[in-house]
Parts: sequence; C-alpha cells; structure tokens
Amino acid sequence: MTPVIEARALKKHFGATRAVDSVSFTVAPGRIVGLIGPNGAGKTTVLKAILGLTRFDGTLQVLGRNPDSQRDDLMQDVCFIADVAVLPKWLRVHNALDFVAGVHPRFDRSRAEEFLRKTDIRLSSRVHELSKGMVTQLHLALILAIDARLLVLDEPTLGLDLLFRRQFYDTLLNDYFDKERTILLTTHQVEEIEHLLTDVIFINRGHLILDSAVEDLAGRYIQVTVAADGVAALRELRPFYEREIFGRVALYFEGRSPAELTAAGGPHAELRTPSISDLFVARMQGSAQ
Amino acid sequence: MTTADTNVSTPERPLTDAPRASATLARERALTTLQMLIRRELWEHRALWMAPLVTSVLLIACAFPAHIDFPDFTRASSDGRFRDIAWFAALQWGLTTLQFLIAAIVVNFYLLDCLYAERKDRSILFWKSLPASDGATVLSKLLVAQAVVPLGVYLLSIPTALLFSLVWMVRASLGHLPPAVAMWDTVAWLKVEVIVLFTGVVAALWYVPLSAYLLLVSAWARRSVFLWATLPPVLAIVLEHVAFGTRYVWSLIAYRTGGIFDYVHIQKIIERTIFSAGSGHPISLSAASADLARAFGNIDLWIGLAVGAALTYAAARIRRYRDDT
Repeated sequence: MTPVIEARALKKHFGATRAVDSVSFTVAPGRIVGLIGPNGAGKTTVLKAILGLTRFDGTLQVLGRNPDSQRDDLMQDVCFIADVAVLPKWLRVHNALDFVAGVHPRFDRSRAEEFLRKTDIRLSSRVHELSKGMVTQLHLALILAIDARLLVLDEPTLGLDLLFRRQFYDTLLNDYFDKERTILLTTHQVEEIEHLLTDVIFINRGHLILDSAVEDLAGRYIQVTVAADGVAALRELRPFYEREIFGRVALYFEGRSPAELTAAGGPHAELRTPSISDLFVARMQGSAQ
Repeated sequence: MTTADTNVSTPERPLTDAPRASATLARERALTTLQMLIRRELWEHRALWMAPLVTSVLLIACAFPAHIDFPDFTRASSDGRFRDIAWFAALQWGLTTLQFLIAAIVVNFYLLDCLYAERKDRSILFWKSLPASDGATVLSKLLVAQAVVPLGVYLLSIPTALLFSLVWMVRASLGHLPPAVAMWDTVAWLKVEVIVLFTGVVAALWYVPLSAYLLLVSAWARRSVFLWATLPPVLAIVLEHVAFGTRYVWSLIAYRTGGIFDYVHIQKIIERTIFSAGSGHPISLSAASADLARAFGNIDLWIGLAVGAALTYAAARIRRYRDDT
C-alpha cells in the first residue's frame, strides 16, 4: 500500500537553529499516529511541512504529492486543525457551514449540522460568543464532515477542560476514523491519547528518537521494577533509563528478552511493557543524558 | 488498538474523473470558490457595505433641512431651463461622487487590513485548511475592492439620488423650496449616470496597481501596515528631493493617484456635461464618452494593470509562504 506520508531526510532551519534535522518516517493508511515531543522539539515544524505551510529541505510526499509544489491539490484530501483558537471571531456558525460547503467538494453539510445539534451551539452565533470548548466542537464539526484522507491535529485540545478533551477524542475515534483514513496528531497530554494511537513517533531537538507501531513496543521495550538491591545486576544489561518509584527502581530496556531480565533481576522483579507516556519520559531523559 | 473495521462500507473515492469532465467541474468549482471567498469578505469586513449604506441614508437625510437659500433659482431668466438642468446634473453628479469617495477610503483601509488581520488572529490557519488557493483568495480581495464594492456603490447611488430628489420635490410642492431646485430631468439624469459608470470603470482599472500595492503590504508587514504602506513612498520623495533635488517619485505617485483624470479631461467633462448646460448647451454624452474612452488608448493604463497583476501575484506568493503564525 502506498504510504500516506513519506518523509526522507526532512530538514528545516531557522537561522542557525536546526528545528528539524534529517527526519525520516513513513505513515501508512488507516493509522493514528502520535507525533510526540517536548516544546520546541520540532513537531509543529514537521506538521507545517506536511501541510505545505512552510518550506523545507529533503523529500516529502503526502498522498503521493509534494506539499510544497502541489499544496492546492493536496488540500482536497488533507484537513487540519492547527490550534483551537484559529476560527475567526467574527464568523457566524451558519456562515462557516456555508463557506466550507462552498469551497470543499467533500464537505457533507448535513453531517456537520447533525453534529452541531448534539451541542449547545446555535447557528446564528458568532465564534466570539462561543466558549473555548464550543469553538473546538464547531471546528471539529466542520472538519469531521469533510471526507478527507489525512487529518492533521496540532495540539487540538490545548486549554480545554477534561470533559471536552475526552469528548473530542471519542468523537474523533467513533464518528470519523476508519481504515481508509489516517490521523496524525501532536499533544502534550500523552497519557490521554495513548490508548487510541496505533503508532508513535518521538521527536526531540529536531531528531527522531523513536518511530514504532504501538503493537511492536511490547516486544521491544521492557520496564523492570526491582528493589534497590537488585539494581546492580540489571545495570549490567545497560538500561537506557532508570528512575525511583517509592523506594523501588524502574529500569527501562530496549531489545532484551524477558528471560535474561528475569534472570538478572531475581524473582521479585516485575516486568511489564512501559506505557507510552513512561516510554516518552524515559526516552527524552535518556536521550538528554 | 485495532482499526475500526466496521466502516469498510465507505465507497471508493474517485480520485481521477475523466479528464474532460473534470476540467469543466474544476472550472465550476473555481467559480463557486471565488464567489464564496467574495461573500466571506463581505461577512468579515462589514464596513464595505455598511459605510455606503450609512452614507446614502445620511445624504437622503440631508435633503430634509428646513431652510436653504437659493437666490439664483428664485430669479427668472431666459435660459432658466438649461440652468436648472445644470444645477440638477451637478447635484446628481455630486451625490454619486461623494458616495464613491467615501467607499474609496473604506476600500483602501480594507485592502491594507485584509491579509494582515488573518495572520494577526491566526485565522489564516483555518482558511488554509480548506482547498481555496492563495491565488484565488488574494484575487477575491482585489475583486471586492475593484469590482464588487464599486458596482454596489453605483447601484446604491441610483435609489439614493431618486429618493433625494423625491424629498426635494415633495418639499418644493409644500413651498419649502423653490420649484426650480426640485426639478427632475430623466434624460439628463440618465446621461449623468452613464458618465459616472464609465468614469467608475476607468477609475477601477486605473487604481488596480495601487490596490495591489496595498494588498502586498498587507500580506508582507508584520505590524503597522499603515506605516509600511505610507512611509516608504514619503521617505522616497523626501530622500530623492534632498539627494537630487528632483521630484520624480512625487510625480509618479501623483500621476498614479489622479493622473488618468487629467488624461481623460475629467474637468472638461464635468464642465461641458454639467455646468456648461447652464450656458445653454445640452449635456453631451458622446463627447464625454469619447474623452473617457481615451483612457483605454493610454499605454500607462495597461502598464498599470500589468504591474498590478505582478503585485497581486507577489501578494499571493507571500501569503503562501509567509510563516509567522
């Protein structure tokens, strides 16, 4: 299957600062990919390059097209929410529907209206009269009614309360996602989305730290928790990160078999696959050390 | 986490239609998009239609003041009929011109603001998430300034003039105004309307480079668009004068602002078609049209259009690649 996104040696610098330094990755159709990294890691720059909003070096193909030279064409199949606050304040809800219906051949107005009926948003309201959560609901209603093949979300729930965030991701997953669609998203709140991701890409200081399907993480990464006296033997096996939890120590390993870890850690060692947020912290701290 | 297998029934999306059918479709879609983009401008920049409407209402309201002294019109004279027509034509011309001038001021501020405001509030990220190209977007703004608003003001000026005259006729019949002031001459009125329309077309074309320049500044400046639009020309004029003692920049700007009206002898048109009626000559539509048609033979008009096209293209390129959100 042709990949939805194919990035080869993607680079972008602002003056002397390398925002993105030789990043390569591939995204297959029907995946939900989390692009995860600390502030200033280069996530937004990568997304902007994919959306044709910024120029870059290296090669990048999105749905078989170059987002730099074929952006207008690409935007028929790609949709994005860059930020919750970008809907213009003066826009009326019904005008927003008119506009998207007028310019997007794949917009299903009745679907957007149906979605809006489930909210408290009135069609005659202007965006500045809506709460931040409602603006997000409106934006989501507009975007979800577009039959796009790639949806890109850059911190879509920033500044929203937990209820809206949960609702946002539930809607995304239940009403939108299917195996022909691909979603690429970034967020700070990793733990909230880790259950819905199929793939993770970690990025730090412009470099790719990890690129893996979530189902492959289990075979590759193991977190071993032991009492302090079991640490020395495990350290021999070169953990890439360790931290203390309530007097016990958690050590993170890549590419070690459970058998050798159990042998080194002793009978009281607990082995498990680290959560994505644990892995994220471990990887970021590990790469900084 | 498995993908949602339940939605497999989504029909296959046709990615490539037959080329010929898709070309027609693409053209239709481009037109719908452009139309939508233009409507969008009128939603956002309400001053574009509110200002002309308010102007019209105020002008009509001005027809109501209780006492005006018209000494000339109270005196009887031999050429009274022609003088009345001259007065009437001048009034109609003046009302319409005033509305165009006010609309022009609003339009200039609109042009300076439109590509800057969407970057300032970051809504450009929303507009850019939809398949409306930067070229179409910038073009829609130029069309609003050079075609939609002028045409709207022109159409609005007709009922405004009619209502104004109606009010005066009623007041004259009540004896509040001398009857000569409240005259109506349909032929003269139609002639003035045609001349105004023709002048409007020439002006809209002549001002394309100026409008495109404002769009370019709006797309480019990070802040203080008004200063960026006005300071460079002023500095250029001053520096040129200090350094070389010449005034080429000043002449260029003056020419590009009002030059076409000298070229088509607008003053002569006004005098001949409007005021000279007072000296017994009828309004000459053909002479006025011939003068205005000269504009199309002026190479500078076409150079201006070419420069305007280049500046518009540059503004669209900047909107495409400006990355400051």
